[in-house]
Amino acid sequence: MRFGIFLLWGILSLNCTLYAEQNILKWGGDANGGAPYLLLDPQNPRKIIGFEYDVAEALAREMGMQAQFVQHQWDNIIPGLNRGNFDIVLNGIEITPARKAEVDFSTPYFYTDELLTVRKDETNIHDWEDLDGKKVGTLKESVAERLLNEHGVAVASYEDQTPIYDDLAFGRLNAVLMDQPIALYYGSIDLRLKTLPKSLGKVAYAVCVRKGQTELVEKINAAIKRLIASGELRNIYERWGVWNNDMAREFPDNSPKHEEATQFKAYVENFHKQSSFENRIEQYKSYAPMLLNGALMTLKLSSLAMICAIILGLFIALSRLYAPKPIAVLAFAFVEIIRGTPLLIQLFLIYYGLPNLGIKLNPFVAAIIGLALNYSAYESEIYRASISAIPHAQMEASLALGLNRWQALFHIIIPQAIRIVMPPMTNDFISLLKDSSLVSVITLVELTRVYGQLAAASYDYLGVGLITAFIYFLMGVPFVRLSRWIEKRYSFDSHTLHGVH
Amino acid sequence: MQESNVPHIDVRNLNKMYKHKLVLKDINLSFFKGELTAIIGRSGCGKSTLLRCLNGLEPFDSGSVNLGPITLERKEHTKNEALASALRKNFGLVFQGFNLFPHLTILENLIKAPMVVKKLKREEAKAIALPFLEKVGLLSHVDYYPSQLSGGQQQRAAIARALTMSPNVMMYDEPTSALDPWLSEEVFRVMRQLAAEEMTQIVVTHEVHFVRELADKVVFIEDGEVVEVGTPEELFDNPKDPRTRLFLKRGEK
Repeated sequence: MRFGIFLLWGILSLNCTLYAEQNILKWGGDANGGAPYLLLDPQNPRKIIGFEYDVAEALAREMGMQAQFVQHQWDNIIPGLNRGNFDIVLNGIEITPARKAEVDFSTPYFYTDELLTVRKDETNIHDWEDLDGKKVGTLKESVAERLLNEHGVAVASYEDQTPIYDDLAFGRLNAVLMDQPIALYYGSIDLRLKTLPKSLGKVAYAVCVRKGQTELVEKINAAIKRLIASGELRNIYERWGVWNNDMAREFPDNSPKHEEATQFKAYVENFHKQSSFENRIEQYKSYAPMLLNGALMTLKLSSLAMICAIILGLFIALSRLYAPKPIAVLAFAFVEIIRGTPLLIQLFLIYYGLPNLGIKLNPFVAAIIGLALNYSAYESEIYRASISAIPHAQMEASLALGLNRWQALFHIIIPQAIRIVMPPMTNDFISLLKDSSLVSVITLVELTRVYGQLAAASYDYLGVGLITAFIYFLMGVPFVRLSRWIEKRYSFDSHTLHGVH
Repeated sequence: MQESNVPHIDVRNLNKMYKHKLVLKDINLSFFKGELTAIIGRSGCGKSTLLRCLNGLEPFDSGSVNLGPITLERKEHTKNEALASALRKNFGLVFQGFNLFPHLTILENLIKAPMVVKKLKREEAKAIALPFLEKVGLLSHVDYYPSQLSGGQQQRAAIARALTMSPNVMMYDEPTSALDPWLSEEVFRVMRQLAAEEMTQIVVTHEVHFVRELADKVVFIEDGEVVEVGTPEELFDNPKDPRTRLFLKRGEK
């Protein structure tokens, strides 16, 4: 999928010329990305921590600016940069030739190795030649993935690191190849696994900026240089336990240890902590405001999108049924195109594509438009079928009484069709509630996104997942009730059962 | 009732095609004020289509329909919706399948059109509707839904509904063919009453007894053509055309 997005964005991409507000350095990253880069503080999930958070703060300060974090899904963080959502990306972006074609890079701020993690009892895997015929997991679009492909190893590519190491522990994978910080935070500290010392490749992270912003790159490079010289970068890395020989050589800095790995220790402690039931409940309570906010966003998006979809859908259905031929054909084409293409691509086109035509929508509006357009196509088909299901004699009787076509539709046909429409429409709304999670790709933080963040921060995929699922379920219930009530109110078959004088 | 000299409705050279088949062939008919005209013929002969052409529900291909100041003329497939609508306002149409609005009560069925088309207030529309419901004997059923009524009651409600729009002409398309003889009689009673009030009525029916009793004129149609027109006595007792004779003979079986 990522490839498709790159392609799409590549085709549509033109240079956005957007200028940062003075003295604010907007930097993009994914707080879902995980430890030790960027993560939600398990003690306080409203706070973002991570060594890259510290680097960004230090970098901005060194540039005489104020750092402002902008959450963006890692998958399409480069399109987000080029769209102008933020000025730089500082989030484990490895320098690759493909990316160099899309953005400009600063000098690296971090060097590291590609390391193998295997199960504790594994004795046969040490180096490349041992990976023949084995299945190795890594992250999508990473240097590790490219290296594995080059060596002809069977790769399983993941969006997220946590399930990779779980799959390794469960025996679904033979090994995991990953950048050293991830191997340390997810592999080494997992008691079921061990990380091998041998480096299978080198990798460097650098700051990305939009193409052609040489002045900004120079400013960043100068700041990185000063941070290296002052030892501040090294301090950050040591606190997070990710300082290594590569950087000692590259920076160069061979002085003795500056700081204790306090952040790493806190992380490990939290990782191995056996949560008591009471602790868990306390933790879930602390998640409540975020989950609630996410649920509100989901509800707001779904309701607004559904209202627009209903109005637009009715308009399309009526056009297909009663409008002059050219308009009816247009409506038909709209339905077929929208139904025939994925919602995800539609959202991408609206959010990342339209800015190239000068239409730059905020994420909320883009999401409403995307969801409403998509669902209006489905709604229109339901309405068309329901209106067609009302016997033609009803229209004839209305016309014979002197009503015109529109009066007949609104007073006679549609009120009868509503009853037929309600069950499938409720169905669609429930499904829209869940489909709305797709809008996280255009940076909106709704319920599923919040779930992802909290689960990544707490490693409690099951507990948080069940709570989130239950919230979705609860949100759907009132609409099912409402639909039943409307259906009953407009029902006329039931009249024979009661109310006879 | 005596024929007046001036025809109320005049149909001239009306032709209608349906999928390259001529379903109405050069129809020339006059309907007179205060008369009840019965149209008889075999199923599918074009009787119902003729009714729908008269009130502009079905477009026709050539010829004209004249009613008072309105003349609806159709050249090849041209539509004239405004004129058709103006013509339609003169007619009340009652269907074989009643076609009451199932989601509305009987009263609401009656007041809907006056409220929507004539923009009357609910109370004004009700004041118009109630006397008609009384006339057809349904005053005690105003709050019932159609599905709670018998077929005869539904058809009487449908007649009352058509009357609320004060039509000059009432048309019935096989109004009793879905009803048993007892329920049919309820409907005929209403039509008899309207005839007594000199309402112009056109009815497509197979009920020979009713036609004999009440029709001023009978039109026999076969294969989209008017075969014979006359009084019930002329047509039933002394048919001129062999096709009429054959139709009546079959009907007696």
